[in-house]
Amino acid sequence: MSFITFRNITREYHVGDSVIKAVDGISFSLEKGTFNVVLGQSGAGKTTVLNLIGGMDSPTGGSIVVDGQEISNLSQQGLTEYRRNKIGFVFQFYNLVPNLTVLENVQLAQEICRCPLDPRDVITKVGLEHRMSNFPSQLSGGEQQRVSIARALAKNPQILLCDEPTGALDSETGSMVLKLIQDVARDLEKTVVIVTHNVIIAELAENVIHMRDGKIREIVRNPSPKSAGDIRW
Amino acid sequence: MVKNALFIKALRDMAKSKAQFISIFVMAVLAVSIVTGLDCIWKTIEVKSEQMYAATNFSDIWITVPNPSEKELRAVSRISGVERVEKRFTANADTDLEGAPVLKVYTVSDQKTLDVPMLQEGGLRSDGGAILDADFAKRRGLRTGDRISIKLNKKWMSFTTEGLAYSSEQINLSKGSAGAMPNHYNFGFIFIREEALKGAYGIKVYNQICVKLLPGADARRVQLEIDRALGDKLIGMTAREDSSSGNSVRAFIQQFKTLSAVFPLIFFLVTALITQSTMIRLVEKQRGEIGVLKALGYSKNSILWHYTSYGLYTGLLGAAVGFLIGPRLFGGVLVPRLTLNFPDYSLSINYVNFIFSLILILLCTGGVSFYACYRLLNETPAALLRDKPPKEGGRIFLERFTGIWERMRFSSKLIARNTVKNKMRLAMSVLGITGCAGLVVGAFGLNNMISGISRQVYGNIYLYEQKILLDGKVDSRWVSNKRIDAVVQEIKETSMEIICPDGTMVMKPMTVITDYSPLVALKDDASRPVQLSDSGVAVTRKLAETLKLSLGDEIQIKRSNNSYVSVTVDRIFYMPASQGLFMKDTLYEAIGETFTPSALLVKWNGQRDEEFLKSDAVKETVDVKVQIANMDSLTNVVLIAATMMILMGAVLAFVVLYNSSILNYTERIRDLATLRVLGFHQREIRALVLTENIISVLLGMIFGVPLGKALLDVVAGTLDDRMDLIGRITLSNVLISGCLTLVFALVVNVFVARKMKNLDMLDALKSVE
Repeated sequence: MSFITFRNITREYHVGDSVIKAVDGISFSLEKGTFNVVLGQSGAGKTTVLNLIGGMDSPTGGSIVVDGQEISNLSQQGLTEYRRNKIGFVFQFYNLVPNLTVLENVQLAQEICRCPLDPRDVITKVGLEHRMSNFPSQLSGGEQQRVSIARALAKNPQILLCDEPTGALDSETGSMVLKLIQDVARDLEKTVVIVTHNVIIAELAENVIHMRDGKIREIVRNPSPKSAGDIRW
Repeated sequence: MVKNALFIKALRDMAKSKAQFISIFVMAVLAVSIVTGLDCIWKTIEVKSEQMYAATNFSDIWITVPNPSEKELRAVSRISGVERVEKRFTANADTDLEGAPVLKVYTVSDQKTLDVPMLQEGGLRSDGGAILDADFAKRRGLRTGDRISIKLNKKWMSFTTEGLAYSSEQINLSKGSAGAMPNHYNFGFIFIREEALKGAYGIKVYNQICVKLLPGADARRVQLEIDRALGDKLIGMTAREDSSSGNSVRAFIQQFKTLSAVFPLIFFLVTALITQSTMIRLVEKQRGEIGVLKALGYSKNSILWHYTSYGLYTGLLGAAVGFLIGPRLFGGVLVPRLTLNFPDYSLSINYVNFIFSLILILLCTGGVSFYACYRLLNETPAALLRDKPPKEGGRIFLERFTGIWERMRFSSKLIARNTVKNKMRLAMSVLGITGCAGLVVGAFGLNNMISGISRQVYGNIYLYEQKILLDGKVDSRWVSNKRIDAVVQEIKETSMEIICPDGTMVMKPMTVITDYSPLVALKDDASRPVQLSDSGVAVTRKLAETLKLSLGDEIQIKRSNNSYVSVTVDRIFYMPASQGLFMKDTLYEAIGETFTPSALLVKWNGQRDEEFLKSDAVKETVDVKVQIANMDSLTNVVLIAATMMILMGAVLAFVVLYNSSILNYTERIRDLATLRVLGFHQREIRALVLTENIISVLLGMIFGVPLGKALLDVVAGTLDDRMDLIGRITLSNVLISGCLTLVFALVVNVFVARKMKNLDMLDALKSVE
């Protein structure tokens, strides 16, 4: 049985009198513990897919089932609960709270969910144990993104959602971050969904959903994904 | 063309931060409207009274002398500084109208140029004609041509109303007796010709000398010389400053000058604060744009002007609106309630202070904006175009206590760090709340200080329920023979000339009371009872202060035989309302005077003795309730002003809170959106933002109380020289203003919470601006 299922999902936005279909009747399903990439140019609708999986937005038509739970008709409250317990989010621009230290940023996530991981362990896992009490502004971009990953993992979510996680990083740091995501996901058996326009990242994925103009162009299954250490762009 | 583009940019930027700019605008409106509003009140009084003084050729001194002779008139006119001397007759007369109102009679003649009526209609044409008080005529429905009879010297005389007028002497209605305060239904004035007095007295009679001084002459010195020149014949003397009208005109002017100088300051300060925080934030946000403008080749000055104009436009607009509504609001509401009788209540504007407040508000808005922009301009375009390094999170003091810090939830840590990091914003909201809490606390304090005066005087010091004025011809034995079924206390109220140790010579009210004093309980400023001694006089605290008298000082008192006797000041007591001296009847007799009661203070044992009240010796009675009402009516207008101030303080609180909460929210939208994505509930995020508001409200309240007390003290000290006011802030004042501010904070929180509902999580995904 699939872990994430999109069935005929549509998301329309009303801009003035006109209706824009950001996502237009897409369906796909992803297995638990897989590493997936949603690929597309800007405007292709990939961020909308991410928002829908992440429970930050609800579809205007169709059904989304995650881990057996129908989430397309949840209330704001229900969606918050869903995000809180199931989703770990990694942002393109890290979005650390500047006023909190590395440890505190991770604790921030850990405090609100049911079965969190130990923040110190997670920070050690991303290799920042020596930076524990630094503030975000004292870290490099790559380090900040690692904190962001640690924060997402600390909630012990089932899904790790990453929005262009390497978008603000150089190639070398980017691949290190991707390697980290790949490793921890494998270790902790997380389902990973990365949204990106970077074709090379797609080589890491078991499933690649190609999107264009709000529709899925094709879904490519990749039986032997590359390791993040082997790619460069 | 280029200027236009920048202008449009300014307007769009302002529209984008409309909450902030509306706040600045509202503050500017409040600040300027309070200054111009309160200013226009005293200015109106000043202008109107000056106009009336000029139109009526108002005297500077009135001397009460029975039948002044030519020689006496000449003696007065020879005193240096005296411009003109005239004699006239004045007295209270009963009328034949319903309810027997009393009219104050003044005489005029063809030669008389001083203290003439200010005609509104008609004029005095014949000996049988009269000019009637315009307000009295209005209340009584009388017109020119109507006949009115008055009783003088027990003879009724009838006059035809030939004109209606106002009088400078009756700007504040004054009957010249200690009884009930007159109103226009039961009291007015009437001008008749000297010749008409023949009907009552057989001849023309006079009892007063009116003295007009040369400009710049010292009225006090002239008064002393008149005293010397007239000797025994002199019965009484009043300078314009001490006359009922002159005194209330001056007191009102002083009251509103005080209010307009003290309260608006806070509004200016808060305007500056709000502008400061808004503009610093706006300019910081536009770093890049400033860099672009500089890179494009805009001069430093044009960029400076661009940002200065944000504040300047808002301030100008606010000042204009404030100027339009202030006088109408404050003047329109308060001037007609001043109980001053002017022909009309058209408002006069104090342009000097308006210009001053305009400059001040422009400094608080434009000047502050200028400064906010100025700081950034010295950086190079390249530096400006680079992203500003994000503000560093820093460690705070609290973290040194690892025990506590470790145990705090992250949300508390976040609040603590955030509060400390944004010191500016915290300072702004705390200062803003301090200002408005101070204003509200001060205004409440003013309110109970003023409204407490009558209760203090007539509930704590004087304990009678009725005051009976006697004709002064009966003595204590007569009173005791009447066997009045009541607690009765005899007192003598008079005024005496005293000479202070430093040579100051003044006429002051003297109250003589008996040893048996069940209805007068003098107190000191801590409410401890004060007993009069047999050997010295007691002085009210404020009078002692003004005359620089202290315990043990010797003062000279003028006896009725015109010789002086020396007495010791051995008690100082507290009297909020009228300042004067007290002594015991034993001392009064000891210095050679005879104690005849001028009034009885009475607390009836049930039924009033109507028969006694009809005795010939009883001139007039007045209920304590009426006296309380009279006293309250004098301070009523200050109370309304205080209430308006409380309302404005409330608006101020609201604006400040709204502003700082919105700032606290918008500055952190990205953080908060991130928290939403992480799965924080609305209420958890709301608590984060709103807790900070509550912190600043509480801090502001704490600082607001001493500020309010300080404001109140300034007002208490300068409001009115006749009053000795002690400003006290009660716990209930603090609690009420605290609750009020908290309610505001909650209402504002609802607003902000509503705004937070629209928090877009997708903001978290966008790049840093």
